[in-house]
Amino acid sequence: MTIDRSRFDQGLTYDAFKAQMTRNRERLEENEKRVDLAKENVAAFRALPRPVKVVVLAEDWCGDVIANLPVLGRLAQESGKLDVRIFLRDQNDDIMQRYLNKGQFKSIPVFVFFDEDFRELGHWIERPASVTEIRAKRRKEIFAAHPEFGSPDAPVDALPEEVRVRLQSELAKMREDTTKFANAEVVRELREIATRVAA
Amino acid sequence: MTPAHKVKITYCAECGYEPQTLALAKALMLEFGARLSCIELIPWDGGTFEVSVDGQLIHSMKTNGGFGDSAAIKDAVRTRLTA
Repeated sequence: MTIDRSRFDQGLTYDAFKAQMTRNRERLEENEKRVDLAKENVAAFRALPRPVKVVVLAEDWCGDVIANLPVLGRLAQESGKLDVRIFLRDQNDDIMQRYLNKGQFKSIPVFVFFDEDFRELGHWIERPASVTEIRAKRRKEIFAAHPEFGSPDAPVDALPEEVRVRLQSELAKMREDTTKFANAEVVRELREIATRVAA
Repeated sequence: MTPAHKVKITYCAECGYEPQTLALAKALMLEFGARLSCIELIPWDGGTFEVSVDGQLIHSMKTNGGFGDSAAIKDAVRTRLTA
């Protein structure tokens, strides 16, 4: 499977994707508002010598899509250099098979960057490894600080309901606290790929 | 007196696992009826889909993969009920 212009044009624009969402649109738009783009990053995307096409695989139920697609959406809006088309993962398995995470997992979002002649510049899957790493570390710290939460590897259903609710709240706060770092890492990695486009 | 047996299904609400959760809950209700004292559905996150009976984990997406075969989960529940 290769992406060409006609296939690219079949994808949804960012706004069309949002319009067809049946869940999580409010969260996605809230995340979109909260993306804080550094001027130098916007400038780097604006300075791309040619527009870049971005094929996205996404679904509205996926937390990583709701967190990371708005970062791409804002970069596209503010730079005017990214032409984004979104394909629903479960209806476009031929594209998904080409970009499996570690060759086996259908992780999303997937962002594939192409030049105007549809030569691939690079692709990006799910979330930055640095974000997975820092959240795993913070998660361990939460469990270490709260012995009542038990083992981080144990099923949560064994916890009394009120303890489980507190754990859920601590984990949500941790994700919130690491969002700024996560967004910055997404921008850094996407910038690295997009700037491979030749003049 | 019949001992009370509890099933808990923990599912990732963020991932949209509600249909699989409800399908499994329904299958267990129809199969075991009042032999289960409670089927608890726990919305969670992180791609979780776990089923436990009386505190014993009988299926985990993380370790077993997928949502599990409904027949196999029913067998595991049945084994617990007759233990």
